[in-house]
Amino acid sequence: MAYKIAVGSSDGINVDLKFGEVENFLIYEVTDNFKLIEQRAVPVENDANSTNATDNENDANVSEFTLGSNCEKSNCKSSGCGGNGGGCGGAEGVLKKVSLIEDCRCVVCRKVGFQAQKQFEKKAISVFDVEVPIEEALEKITYYYEKIDNHKTLRS
Amino acid sequence: MAKLLDKQRYKCALGAMQSVQAITRALPILHSGPGCAQKLSESIGSSGYFSPNIFPCTSINEKDVVFGGVKKLNSTIENALKVIDADLYVVLTGCIPEIVGDDSGEVVSRFEDADKPVIYAPTAGFKGNNYKGHEQVVDAIVEQYLKKSETKQKGLVNIWADVPYQDLFWLGNLRELEKLISELGLTPNTIFGYNRGIKNIDKIPEAEFNLLVSPWVGLNNMKKMERKLGIPYLHYKTLPIGATETSKFLREVGKFAGVAEEKVESVIKEHEDYYYYLIERYADLFLENRVINKQFTVVSDAHYALGITKFLANDLGLVPAKQFVVDDTPKNRREEIAEEFKKLNFGLEAEVSFETDGFKIHEEIKNHDYHGYPLILGGYYEKEVTDSLKGNFLNVSYPTQDKVVLDSSYVGYTGGIRLIEDIYTVAVQRFN
Repeated sequence: MAYKIAVGSSDGINVDLKFGEVENFLIYEVTDNFKLIEQRAVPVENDANSTNATDNENDANVSEFTLGSNCEKSNCKSSGCGGNGGGCGGAEGVLKKVSLIEDCRCVVCRKVGFQAQKQFEKKAISVFDVEVPIEEALEKITYYYEKIDNHKTLRS
Repeated sequence: MAKLLDKQRYKCALGAMQSVQAITRALPILHSGPGCAQKLSESIGSSGYFSPNIFPCTSINEKDVVFGGVKKLNSTIENALKVIDADLYVVLTGCIPEIVGDDSGEVVSRFEDADKPVIYAPTAGFKGNNYKGHEQVVDAIVEQYLKKSETKQKGLVNIWADVPYQDLFWLGNLRELEKLISELGLTPNTIFGYNRGIKNIDKIPEAEFNLLVSPWVGLNNMKKMERKLGIPYLHYKTLPIGATETSKFLREVGKFAGVAEEKVESVIKEHEDYYYYLIERYADLFLENRVINKQFTVVSDAHYALGITKFLANDLGLVPAKQFVVDDTPKNRREEIAEEFKKLNFGLEAEVSFETDGFKIHEEIKNHDYHGYPLILGGYYEKEVTDSLKGNFLNVSYPTQDKVVLDSSYVGYTGGIRLIEDIYTVAVQRFN
């Protein structure tokens, strides 16, 4: 069955962005193999009404949240969303970003903060925080899903 | 086809972390999912210098399944060495890393030059239960830590017996065996329990022989030590409980170690005199045939099933009904162990069943004619079924819920007396 994977990458080759740093998620679709189908932009922090820039079907939910300026520096993207939710956007900012890719089965970033991990967990989206080439990551992840979806052992 | 096991009496091989815990100042490092240690630990006297289940653990998750967990293992060992003051670090692997193929052995070998020894025992659950895991831990020590010794210490004997914590009486039993061996003029060496640890592990290669008191657990270790360290072994299958078996045991060990016969006999005589003095004093209790049950059943690992069956038949003159061995004994050992059950005094033979399914065991107990109330010695699982048959029940093996044992023991002459006390304490309660 086809599913999607969200990747945080600045160059399209390596998984090199922290979750908080991602401006454009690379969305891969996996069928028999994987291919890049979309670049999904993360809405700018203070612009609550422009979240419909994506085809996310849950946009309505997202915009329900008050997107108060938890982060004063509107362009701050450097430190990502810190462990205690004190980074850009705070807990709500994280939630918004998590919802943006909630149609994906898993997310692959260099680092994913505690807040975000918990939010993904709630939505049963797997988090892989690794620093490897995208291709390697996707090969390993799709191999894994292929095995468990078909009840095959991972024993090598 | 998946099978459900009713009333399981053992844990997965990772349960061998308890064997590591039993070695003073040895620390398990777990390469497993979070929660394994929590599920495997119990409040059975395992806290101490290290807490009972808060060990360094890689806590591997989905990411490590996909991308491998060796990096995490490396950092976990590295940091454990930095922050925890132990004498021996034993890496134990759970199912997940072994299924996905983490080369834990390779990671551990990177720490060859560390100040303290780091060894590795593969204890994935699918490899077997914690009896097997216990063997793996001892194997790891022999294989990765010990070196053959050119010098031997005269009279030094390594004693291997119970699986710590799985067996409630492990500490007391080992100490009692040590005591008996020293009375023969030999020097016992054990690695588990208070004031043993790494200094005793270091002495293992210098021993003249290994003494294994167990029907099957540890036999592979003995063979390994014979090959690698050149230490011969004496495999004594029956846990000696009471006078008959203990005297037999002392004679056999004495013979193997070349102890003068007079010496052995004088030790035996001293013990037997006192033992039979106690028995004699209570002869009226033992001869009153309404007090104790006519037939008994032991539901336990091979170690206790065999030891107690021999004791109750030989020393107390009770008649064995069917006995149940619940430790998933390897198939190739079953026949010789079953043979041991036939070597009872008075021409008695006990039938034994190697069965791990508690439901089937209970059905058999319910359907057997014990010629009166049964006497059942087993795990806590047998309490209810014994109650339903109005029988007498004594909790002697895993799981233990209604017995607290700090260091008492069922081994030797004194162990036999303890067991008599416990059984008759239960039996007389029926009338009082």
